[in-house]
Amino acid sequence: MMLRVRFHGRGGQGAKTASRILGDAAFNDGFNDQDFPIYGAERRGAPVAAFTRFSDGDITERGFIFSPDIVGVMDDSLIEDPLANPFAGLRKGGCAVVNTTKPSGTLLPDRKDAKIITIDLTGMALKMLGKPILSSGIAAAVARVAGVSEGSFLKAVADELREVGLSEEMVKKNVEFAMAVYGELAPLTLRTEELPSKLELVPLAVVVSGEGMEDVTQTGNSAVRHTGNWRTYRPVIDYRRCTDCMICYAYCPESAMSVGEDGRVRIDYENCKGCMICLTECPLKAISQSGERGLQ
Amino acid sequence: MATATRFRTLKDMPSDEYLTPGNTMCAGCGGILAVRIFHKVLGPNVTWVNAAGCMTIAVSYPLSPLKSNWIYTAFASAPAGAQGVRDALDVLMAKGKLPASEDMKVVVVTGDGAAYDIGFQSAAGAIDRRLDFYYLCYDNEAYGNTGFQMSSSTPFGSASKTTPPTAANPIGNTHRKMDLFEVWRAQNAPYVATLSNSHGVDFLKKVEKGGTIRGPKMYIDFAACPTGWGFDPKDSIELEKLAVQTGIWPLKESVDGVVRHTVVPRSLLPVKEYLTKQERFAHLFEPTERTEAIRTIQESVNSYWAVAGAKEGFAVKAAEVT
Amino acid sequence: MKGTLLTGNAAAASAARLARVDYVPAYPITPQTEIIETIADWVREGTMDAKFVQLESEHSMMTAAGTASLTGARVFTATSSQGLLYAMEMLYNVSGWRAPMVLVNVSRGLAAPIVLEPDHNDVLAARDSGFVQLHSETCQEVADLVLLAYRVAEDRRVMLPALVNLDGFYLSFTRERVVLPEQKEVDKFLPAYDPPHPVRATKAVAKGSAVMEGFVYSYFRYNMHAAALRAKKAFSEAARDYRELFGRDYGPVEGYRLDDAEYVLVMSNSFTTLGRQAVNRMRERGVPAGLLKLRMVRPFPSEELAALLRGRKAAAVFDQNLSPGSGGILFPEVAASMYHVKGRPETLLPVVGGLGGKQLTSDEMTSIFEEMIAVRRGEKAPEPMFLMRSEELAKAKKAVALAEGEP
Repeated sequence: MMLRVRFHGRGGQGAKTASRILGDAAFNDGFNDQDFPIYGAERRGAPVAAFTRFSDGDITERGFIFSPDIVGVMDDSLIEDPLANPFAGLRKGGCAVVNTTKPSGTLLPDRKDAKIITIDLTGMALKMLGKPILSSGIAAAVARVAGVSEGSFLKAVADELREVGLSEEMVKKNVEFAMAVYGELAPLTLRTEELPSKLELVPLAVVVSGEGMEDVTQTGNSAVRHTGNWRTYRPVIDYRRCTDCMICYAYCPESAMSVGEDGRVRIDYENCKGCMICLTECPLKAISQSGERGLQ
Repeated sequence: MATATRFRTLKDMPSDEYLTPGNTMCAGCGGILAVRIFHKVLGPNVTWVNAAGCMTIAVSYPLSPLKSNWIYTAFASAPAGAQGVRDALDVLMAKGKLPASEDMKVVVVTGDGAAYDIGFQSAAGAIDRRLDFYYLCYDNEAYGNTGFQMSSSTPFGSASKTTPPTAANPIGNTHRKMDLFEVWRAQNAPYVATLSNSHGVDFLKKVEKGGTIRGPKMYIDFAACPTGWGFDPKDSIELEKLAVQTGIWPLKESVDGVVRHTVVPRSLLPVKEYLTKQERFAHLFEPTERTEAIRTIQESVNSYWAVAGAKEGFAVKAAEVT
Repeated sequence: MKGTLLTGNAAAASAARLARVDYVPAYPITPQTEIIETIADWVREGTMDAKFVQLESEHSMMTAAGTASLTGARVFTATSSQGLLYAMEMLYNVSGWRAPMVLVNVSRGLAAPIVLEPDHNDVLAARDSGFVQLHSETCQEVADLVLLAYRVAEDRRVMLPALVNLDGFYLSFTRERVVLPEQKEVDKFLPAYDPPHPVRATKAVAKGSAVMEGFVYSYFRYNMHAAALRAKKAFSEAARDYRELFGRDYGPVEGYRLDDAEYVLVMSNSFTTLGRQAVNRMRERGVPAGLLKLRMVRPFPSEELAALLRGRKAAAVFDQNLSPGSGGILFPEVAASMYHVKGRPETLLPVVGGLGGKQLTSDEMTSIFEEMIAVRRGEKAPEPMFLMRSEELAKAKKAVALAEGEP
């Protein structure tokens, strides 16, 4: 029996750590494990993925998991993000564990053949850890659903978080957080089946086109990346207090602020990453922050 | 040397944007902010020549956040890449194959790994050849793109992935930061300047001044790195400001070898105020305070300003050494 | 008789001038240095309208060469041996940028131990870099191949850099008759360099940007491979024009006395002349010997080679290089070209010789044919030959004894 788990998160949320905690936990239970992250171009806040396979026999797979039995989605904004596409390839009879406050029925309406489990990990993390750190929480949810034993799992949480350098106090809090998540859910018996797909290989002659040079001639085209999705908090300008001093504009590393014809600063929420330099630097405190995705 | 400037306050920062939103750098990245401000002064006609580093990832096919030209070269040879572009423009214009309207400013942009270490030789060559170009080093004091390993720019006492504080070596990096400003000055670069994003007007004026000088114009920007240094991105500018106010990052320029400090703190804030705000220095304070290491840092800052003040005729009140 | 006496180095420099190159970034290394000295001289005296810049390393030299090409300048440069290896990272970048230029490599064996005379480990280390590679036998060929290389490299179907190889000493410092084409004829042959998206103030472009996905990377690599393959057609078209203008005929491979040949020696570069001599001596002895010269090494002329080797009794591949633990580098490429060919030679003999410029007597060259015959007769197994004469071994052993003391 082999279980394939794909974690989807945003850079900095701990998808890699989650994949390692789950891998450790399964290993502690006596399974063979294989876990690994993929790194893209993007940084904190950008979509990332990590993978865990575990099996009571040899693992004869490697690399990207195209057909997961379970997906762990750490951030519900990823569902709409074509770069993440977290449910892609989820097997028939598979399970998606989603960190969200939304009702489960709205998340995957066209996949009646898969099970959706929703849990408000962010809310729990803020309450128990004081920060939206999700690695131990999502690992706990997936480990529980996958039937990993509690002892093996909690040892894995502590081991992995010590490994990444967390203080003993934070390790303890994370173990408590993980136990709470683990206790909320029940194991599932998954009988999964790969979705049908048809391979079509293209010959070289079809791949080749024109000069085939790697030139970006539409320079300045990065706005379509929509790095606004990376944001945890959004800056909000109180225009009654703003005196148009332009300090926030000057120090925005993203060019996500522009000056309108009325001389007032506008924030491009499509791409503002929410670094909050503007909030810190505003001499009149005319910028406040508002939480994204249910954060206060 | 007083020259007319169009930059008096931050409000004078040109409103033209050449960096488009949606770049891939970390939130709060000092390096990309430096690129944005630098570009505003240079105007639209620019070719950026890049060496491997964080900024390399900013231009990831098929999206470029820069409206201007971009060439990624290699880790070691971005200044030579600038040489090729500059020479090609010059020769094509001289031969009448290219109109003068196609002339451009050629700017090397690299991190400190390239500037201080692997591309050091290539920069030295370009300076020696008096290449007419700008070099913008966004200095985040380590190899940030590979996860924060020590470079020759890493300061004394900093933790890095290759200088982790351990029981045997509790202070992390034991080398002092290489003085690249002085090295480039000694190589007779006609203009060398340090920048801090936090001191925007000083930054703008220095880039503007570079435009009046023919030859190599070398800039080292103190680029706060939330990910590598370990602080909240919202404090990026604050940390840069503290580096200037504690005297750790002197803002200065060298014109034909003559050094002038452009921002002189009247009295230095204690370095502790800067160090305690970053995880890379956390081991100097927890679990036990490494008094001697902190004293070493404070003394070296104090002595720097005493020497600079004596040379240039200003007095800076040193911070107390504890 | 037309022509002048020129060294291979002078022929390379002359061709660069005839190509009206705009830019020559340079760095000295023996035995290439004469090329850049000549060009520096011409630029300084005003008889060559180009910008000459001496860089601080070959790595930087290739970087500047590549970015200048991206900016629309026609670029020429030259290096050798360690210099080519020092620039190796940039060879891949320049081809990945799809930046046409011509790089002349003057072959020299690689350190350690350091040596000055040629073998082809240097140029064949660049085999996989994406450069078109043309190898020359004579000083005349050096000049002609440089001009042909520009046509191929700058062809819109190709847009890849090209490398022209000539052997150190045996060509670089050897004077022989070279007929240089007239400038106005060269101008007819070689149109102005006009890349599709040069770096421009008025139309910006990003070059060499990072690619984070394997499938996008694969797409560009496959396209680069296709472009390299298209260089064959571009070369044959350019060669046809060249023949019409200058009367000299060049194919990707060249046969010598092949018509009825049963025993064929496959080789490249300057020692090919010694191979021709061996063919003649074998013919005098009544052996149907022939020679096949590889002029184009990238793209590899598999079909042309297979067509000329089909139906022969035996072929030997002379590699003036050595991949330790494998053998000659070109041998497996020739063998792979023949694998599916009906009527391929039953015997394919690997030969390594001439390393570090080790001189080759005509006996050594004819011994390769004798070996082929012996293998065909079943007197010997087709084992690799490593050429070394007994008196050379004696001298080498004497040197070792001096270095280490007599036992």
